[in-house]
Amino acid sequence: MTGPQTKLDREQFAELFPFHFVVDREMRIIDAGDVLLRICPGITIGSPLANAFSLFLLASPTLHIDREYLIKHKSTLFVFKSSSSDLMLRLQLVILGDPERYIFLGSPWVRNPTELKALHLVLKDFALHDSTVDLLQLVQTTSTSLHDAKQLALRLELNRNELKELVDTANAPILTVDLLGKVRDWNQTTERLTGFSKADAVGKQFVEDFVNEESQQGVRKLLDGSLEGVKNARLEVMLNTRDDRKLLVIFSASPRHDALGKVTAAILVGHDITELDEYRTTLENRVADRTSELSLANAELSRVMRSKDDFLSAMSHELRTPLNAILGLSESLCEGVYGGLTDRQSKSINTIAESGHHLLSLINDLLDIAKIGAGKMELEQSTDSVEDVCQSSMRFVAELASKKKLRMSLVIDPNGPVVHADQRRLKQILVNLLSNAVKFTFEGGSVTLETKCHLERNVMEFSVVDSGIGIAPQDLERLFSPFTQLDSKLSRQYAGTGLGLSLVLRLAELQGGTVSVKSEVGVGSRFTVALPWKSSTSDIATNDHAQDQHATEFSAHESGPLILIADDNESNLLTVGDYLRAHDFRVIEARNGLEAVKTVRTRKPSLVLMDVQMPIMDGIDAIENLRGDMSLAAMPILALTSRAMVGDRERCIQAGANDYLSKPVNLKQLVQTIRNHLNVGPPK
Amino acid sequence: MHGMINKSIEDLVTINFGADKWEAIKAKAGIKVEAFVSNESYPDEMTYGLVGAATEVLGLSVSQVLFAFGEFWVLHTANKGYGDLLKSAGRTMPEFLDYLPLFHTRVALIFPNLKPPRFECSDRHPDRITMHYFSPRPGLSAVVSGMLSGVAKLYETPAEITQTQFKDKGADHDEFLVCWGDSIKK
Repeated sequence: MTGPQTKLDREQFAELFPFHFVVDREMRIIDAGDVLLRICPGITIGSPLANAFSLFLLASPTLHIDREYLIKHKSTLFVFKSSSSDLMLRLQLVILGDPERYIFLGSPWVRNPTELKALHLVLKDFALHDSTVDLLQLVQTTSTSLHDAKQLALRLELNRNELKELVDTANAPILTVDLLGKVRDWNQTTERLTGFSKADAVGKQFVEDFVNEESQQGVRKLLDGSLEGVKNARLEVMLNTRDDRKLLVIFSASPRHDALGKVTAAILVGHDITELDEYRTTLENRVADRTSELSLANAELSRVMRSKDDFLSAMSHELRTPLNAILGLSESLCEGVYGGLTDRQSKSINTIAESGHHLLSLINDLLDIAKIGAGKMELEQSTDSVEDVCQSSMRFVAELASKKKLRMSLVIDPNGPVVHADQRRLKQILVNLLSNAVKFTFEGGSVTLETKCHLERNVMEFSVVDSGIGIAPQDLERLFSPFTQLDSKLSRQYAGTGLGLSLVLRLAELQGGTVSVKSEVGVGSRFTVALPWKSSTSDIATNDHAQDQHATEFSAHESGPLILIADDNESNLLTVGDYLRAHDFRVIEARNGLEAVKTVRTRKPSLVLMDVQMPIMDGIDAIENLRGDMSLAAMPILALTSRAMVGDRERCIQAGANDYLSKPVNLKQLVQTIRNHLNVGPPK
Repeated sequence: MHGMINKSIEDLVTINFGADKWEAIKAKAGIKVEAFVSNESYPDEMTYGLVGAATEVLGLSVSQVLFAFGEFWVLHTANKGYGDLLKSAGRTMPEFLDYLPLFHTRVALIFPNLKPPRFECSDRHPDRITMHYFSPRPGLSAVVSGMLSGVAKLYETPAEITQTQFKDKGADHDEFLVCWGDSIKK
């Protein structure tokens, strides 16, 4: 047995071609690789090749191997099938130097590792250059990957089914619309709500076929936005239904992307709000009904309130007229105008006067509260000296304070020398607080009025501090309610209307302010009124446009003649002033002759009511002073005095007064006299 | 990294610790791949991320996770993935180890993008062999220990695996001494 005619020895040749074999001219096997001999027991050296193998041909039965066929087809790839096993060899015929020796080179034809095992082959049996092993490895890994891909596909299919089930069973209409506006998906809830099946819907134009005409334009915009990438845009959409029911759905639209991130459709996820909308409509109708009822009720309430205000106003005016007579006559009686009085008579007259004043303040407070409640209280803003306002207020309670031997003091913050407010109302506030302080402080106690300007907050505080009886914490809450005096015993002990603090609060609020109180029983109280404040009057003029506007309106409304009342008696100022205001006159005040002269020169009133007996400069001197100014010659001056002594009228007329009225003056008559001098009729 | 590696980590966790742990590890590693495909190539960072997350979720050290993975890879994944082909690499453990370098060379030829490691054998004796492991990827020597241990179990051959050279201590590659038979008894 010799090896092939190469320079390789047999062992080297076998390592390179472990599956080779060599046949002679008679087609007998004369040599074979060791691996082939091991795995193919049918091969025996010296035996005919045809015993071991048959020739495998496509589309033909296996052929008996014969020499002529092999020589003729020596350029083709031969496939030999083992007669004793499943082994198939893919072989190439090689004829080297000796034409009588045919060498077959090749390797087993295996398609997967299982066949390898069945043939009792291991990878090392193959020559290193043989790509069969590589192919097997490739087949195996590809097969594994294919398996993975199938698993992945299965998993994705499961996910898809789960998702589809979720979408279908979701209690929300879910559908997709493609770039051409056609329905691509349509879940079961959409089917149930619209009555259109998925088969009905898919492929049809969503907007034209399923959206109510009134919603179509909005839905087109919604879809356009979504297909351009806008997410979660929402819209209420009226959908068509098979049975023409109303179906209102709120849709949220988002883009759907393909694997490359390109938008392919819009996904609409909806919520059926038909019932909700019906509830909403019902509710809106009910609200409208209730609003209408409330409007009617409000109108009725306004009418009643107006009636109440009108009644209060009328009653107050009607009550004040006779009361002025009572007060005036009481004053005259006390001053001995109608002859001397016995002590007993004097006491009785004083009681009448005190009761009258109490009644008057009650009426005035009631009237003010009614005005504020009706929104008719109008403010006359002006900038004035803080000290003047405070002094004037303190003067009002000075007499009573003196009687009770109270220490009265005033502390003005130099940072806030002026205040912009309705001076009359501010004074009303301070007088009320001071009156209370004086009233509820025992003899020998103290009452202080102090101001504090908070520049950083633009707030001016006016505080009335007393060493009085104080207020218990539980009573503070109802302190500002009308008609409240905290202790019924106090009502008897301390005269009062119970309206004062209520009025203070309302007047402060009307001016944009607040009222606060700190108090301790047996120690005293501190009432503080905080009002908006500006650092200068120019600031106020430029910054407080609303107030300017209000002042303008006020001036237009309060366009009546301006009357100056000069009187040192606060009650008279209050009584006469209120009455004149009630009859559409504007009123300014002076408390002595000198102040009256100054005020006339600055304010140029239409008419002056001049009391004769006043401190600093009396009325006669003041009239003479004014008549010395030719520019004031046309201004009527009416002298008022309670003395009613013989010769008074002449003295007044001689000094320059146009008329003379003795106290107690009849207020109706006073108004008529003023109108006569001013040549004006009653307001329409 | 070869997809089969990531798949193997998934199987290791799912079979031994449960699917919920695997989801937790994936979430922690920030991986949104639904399922790995064996022959696909994935970024190495993904595999390192999975190993890192696995140590936290499972409460094991990195070397424990890597060793377990190496064993699991041979006994479960490669066995399943390569099946008879794996067994065809050798009738015995020594034959298999001897063929391992060639096996990886063929893998590298088939999947050039996967950059598989390179093995070399030296000092072949009837009861021991030295395996050399070359890889540009750091920190995976514990995987090799696990794999060699797995091969011993696959061929039911008691063996001792000792790492004798460490790349992370300055050597140019990792080196392992695999002993069986008489060399263990000594």
